[in-house]
Amino acid sequence: MTYKIAVASSNGTDVDTNFGSARFFSVYTVSDEGNFVHSETRAAPDENQDKENFSVHTEKKCTGNGCTNSGNCCRGAEISEKVRLISDCRCVVASKIGFTVQKQLERKAIAAFDVQCKVQEALQKITKYFYSVDNHLSLAKK
Amino acid sequence: MAKLLDKQRYKCALASMQTVQAITRAIPVLHSGPGCAQKLSDGVGSSGYFSPNIFPCTSINEKDVVFGGTKKLASTIENALKVIDADLFVVLTGCIPEIVGDDTAEVVSQFADARKPVIYASTAGFKGNNYKGHEQVVDAIIDQYLKKADEGEKIEGLVNIWADVPYQNLFWLGNLRELEKLLAELGLKPNTIFGYKRGIENIDLIPKAQFNLLVSPWVGLKNVKKMEKKLGIPYLHYPTLPIGASETSTFLREVGRFAGVSSEKIESVINEHESYFYYLIERYADLFLENRVINKQFSVVGDAQYVLAATKFLVNDLGLFPAKQFITDDTPKEFQSAIVEEFKKLNYGIEAEVEFTTDSYNIHNQIREHDYHGYPLVLGSYYDKEVTEELKGNFLNISWPFQDKVVLDDFYCGYTGGIRLIEDIYSVAVQRFN
Repeated sequence: MTYKIAVASSNGTDVDTNFGSARFFSVYTVSDEGNFVHSETRAAPDENQDKENFSVHTEKKCTGNGCTNSGNCCRGAEISEKVRLISDCRCVVASKIGFTVQKQLERKAIAAFDVQCKVQEALQKITKYFYSVDNHLSLAKK
Repeated sequence: MAKLLDKQRYKCALASMQTVQAITRAIPVLHSGPGCAQKLSDGVGSSGYFSPNIFPCTSINEKDVVFGGTKKLASTIENALKVIDADLFVVLTGCIPEIVGDDTAEVVSQFADARKPVIYASTAGFKGNNYKGHEQVVDAIIDQYLKKADEGEKIEGLVNIWADVPYQNLFWLGNLRELEKLLAELGLKPNTIFGYKRGIENIDLIPKAQFNLLVSPWVGLKNVKKMEKKLGIPYLHYPTLPIGASETSTFLREVGRFAGVSSEKIESVINEHESYFYYLIERYADLFLENRVINKQFSVVGDAQYVLAATKFLVNDLGLFPAKQFITDDTPKEFQSAIVEEFKKLNYGIEAEVEFTTDSYNIHNQIREHDYHGYPLVLGSYYDKEVTEELKGNFLNISWPFQDKVVLDDFYCGYTGGIRLIEDIYSVAVQRFN
């Protein structure tokens, strides 16, 4: 089964953008053999519009106190538009992914990788990992 | 044939974090998934300055599996060094980093000049049980921390003692102290690195010792051999933990002779202890001789150290007869035949049969089928209580897991320990008809 990886990168070479400030996502489609190819670029919804739909708690407002913040939390029901945008992807790669977004991604079973490295390196490692998992191969380093 | 493990009586190699914890002011830094430490600790005295629930740990997740966890490990070690006040940091790797190939050695080498020593041991759970993990931690200390001492630095009469595995053997603290006491009476200077007030200063003393004393059938043998090669310290391997008068007197004679203590001194220490020991036995002679509820045959189920020690005590000191004994610590094959030989050296030419097995179902069936000529006496772990009660036998909990006993610093080693064991066994026996 092919799957998609969404990458937040300003130049297509480095993973240098965090999830919250990404204006667009580069989506890569991965084949059964583990080969990846850039298939599309998805623009993130307009920021103001996003704020209206997700007015209680955007990523920028998240104080990082965790979900015990006295009632000012998103109560799990709200899904940010950006997460909805990439909800058909198996995983998302960005330089930083905020806590509330990580929780939303978890609920949608989307793997979140917050790394700072080259896009090619990240894609190679991720596709190798998913390939081993899907084909029941050992992850042991040879 | 595949090996069966039913009701395991040991933990995985990462549980050697308890060996590190036993060294006062040493901290394990775990490179493993979250929860490993909490799973492997149990309520046998592991609270305190740093309990397993708050050991520094990298808590690796999927991202670290895909991208490698070395950066996280480096930052965990660095912050542990900043935040924790300890004398020795031991990095232990768990299963996952070992599978995906994180280079722990490289990360730890970055801290070669840190303000406190940082060493590492690769104790992935699949590499073995915590008996082997214990040896690996000691190996790590020898390889990465200790240096050979010059002739002038050696201290006459200093003896390093290696015996129980901390937190795995319930009586480790008391036993180590008792062994120290016995050696001190011979005029030697004992040195151990586990327990109350024994920490980095004692580790620093290791290379200056006259010799190493290993009191254990196999755990620790490769450590003392390594110390002989690297640090030039000779060793005496005494396979049986001495319990009771017969074995302790033999022990003192052999250690004293090896250390060059005069035989008058050895004999006078032995005489004093034996007079008191047999004074107590004499007073209770009617209990021993006229008691009709004490068992005739016994089985001990546990690790090699306690099975051997208890068998020798029960046969040589108490006059019971051995049924079959079971060693459940997954003893490596190269040590098994030597251990089997030890079981043949009992008084009156008695030889005890011993089986190395980890299949408790098999053990319990054999206990059920054997004719103990009366009620069986079983010294084992909490897993063996049920089958003993089924056979209306007497049960004493001496090996891991423990639920029946709370031990803070009690011990079974030495003359005094032998008296304690007699008291415990007979207490169980006389409760039968209450």
